[in-house]
Amino acid sequence: MTVTADPGAPEPALGGAPVPELYVSGRRKRRAERVRRWLSYLAGAVVIVLVGFAVDWDRVGRKYFSWERITPLFPEIITIAAKNTAIYTAGAFVGGVVLGVSAALLRLSSVRAYRWAAKVYIEIFRGLPALLTIIMVGFITPIALGIKFPRVASVNSAGIVALALVAGAYLAETIRAGIQAVPVGQVEAARSLGLSRAATLRHVIMPQAFRVVIPPLTNEFVLLIKDTSLLSVLGMAISEKDLTRFGRDAANQGYNATPLVAAGIMYLVITIPLTQLVAYLEKRNGPTR
Amino acid sequence: MTAAIELVGLEKSFGDNRVLRGIDLRVEAGQVVCIIGASGSGKSTLLRCVNRLEEPTAGAVLIDGVDITHPDTDLELVRRRIGMVFQHFNLFPHLSVRRNVNLAQRKVLGRSEAEASAITEDLLAKVGLSEKVDARPADLSGGQQQRVAIARSLAMQPEMMLFDEATSALDPELVGDVLGVMRDLAAEGMTMLVVTHEMGFARQVADHVVFMDQGVICEEGPPAQLFGDPRQTRTRQFLERVLEH
Repeated sequence: MTVTADPGAPEPALGGAPVPELYVSGRRKRRAERVRRWLSYLAGAVVIVLVGFAVDWDRVGRKYFSWERITPLFPEIITIAAKNTAIYTAGAFVGGVVLGVSAALLRLSSVRAYRWAAKVYIEIFRGLPALLTIIMVGFITPIALGIKFPRVASVNSAGIVALALVAGAYLAETIRAGIQAVPVGQVEAARSLGLSRAATLRHVIMPQAFRVVIPPLTNEFVLLIKDTSLLSVLGMAISEKDLTRFGRDAANQGYNATPLVAAGIMYLVITIPLTQLVAYLEKRNGPTR
Repeated sequence: MTAAIELVGLEKSFGDNRVLRGIDLRVEAGQVVCIIGASGSGKSTLLRCVNRLEEPTAGAVLIDGVDITHPDTDLELVRRRIGMVFQHFNLFPHLSVRRNVNLAQRKVLGRSEAEASAITEDLLAKVGLSEKVDARPADLSGGQQQRVAIARSLAMQPEMMLFDEATSALDPELVGDVLGVMRDLAAEGMTMLVVTHEMGFARQVADHVVFMDQGVICEEGPPAQLFGDPRQTRTRQFLERVLEH
């Protein structure tokens, strides 16, 4: 059997006592681990150096990071493009939450027809590519049904409607999971006090369900911000452009990708703080219940 | 005279599982009736049929002589007259103690915030938790939570109370406080139907004890008789098992 070190014994190296066997193999494993780590650092450094030499930095600088092409984007990239992206996102999210809560409640109804209606909605809009839904709502609905989507708060409302339909289908399942996470005992306690179904839902179930789904909901919100870029396929007046459309149009005009990079940075400026917030919320909500 | 609660031929099945097989029971106004029996004997299901948290499969539940299994029954009106206390307390975790006790007073009885709060504070004093009025349920011990749950039920000024193993989930040293509150209620003349494993409580407080076994009432009678001189072998065996430790 292995010899374990006697805690009272002097340090092996100092006292000259025999080194315990499990230290010998342990030391070897530790050394091997260190060597592997340095090898991986070295490999990474080699790749970076190779890329550094292979790329024509001058050209990259001109095509992607041209300072004189960034300055003309301001202030419109903020006052029009980022603002419109925010409006598309906020509108679609509010619409999506309303649709999502409705669909989640119908899914949990005791009436079979309601459950089916919600299921059909959810399956269709989760199953269709978001881009296709946007094209259908934006181009086909106005022609087929004669519906004209008005301009709402400087954006094309067809975009908000299409994204809300898609977001609602995803949110419905998230919200349903949140509702189902509320213990049955809560409903029984509320109902035994004489609270109506509606009052139980509003004062007991929903506040608890939303607490559970805040992290996934924030996550859906970030996904929605990015999905607004799909709206750039829609016809947009200059003042209706979102970040992607704004960047792409500017890039096309000058045969230079710098505006797209600028738009990309704008997205990151919005999304990274939000994903950090999600991580924080998950950490905070995680261990408790 | 009509009983406060009367069960007539009550049956309940979950699929093929016949949990209640024809129960007849009367609880007179002001009486304390304790239901004892092994787990799985149908005690809790019986209790849950009384305010129709569980739908009876057959039979009738009469509250003050009115059959509440009738389809036209307004359950919200029935339930506000029948308080219920659960094994796991079921306080609303997102609300403070005050708002737990206020909620149904506001939304069901339409009391103003001030009226509800005054009643809440009185009841919390009664269960010995005045200082916890602004605490969250998560900050309370199980015994404290259960006493808040009792206060929450009492705030509706119910005519009768159902207790579903109210002390089974508590640490032993916390059981006494909750039983104390229940004793006080009984002494005030509250009509109580109590499912319990606390034989001492049943013996001292109950007017009538019911022993259930396999979905039927096996034996019932005054506590002195049921505990002192049980007639049925099954009752005797059950009591020997629970009292020997």
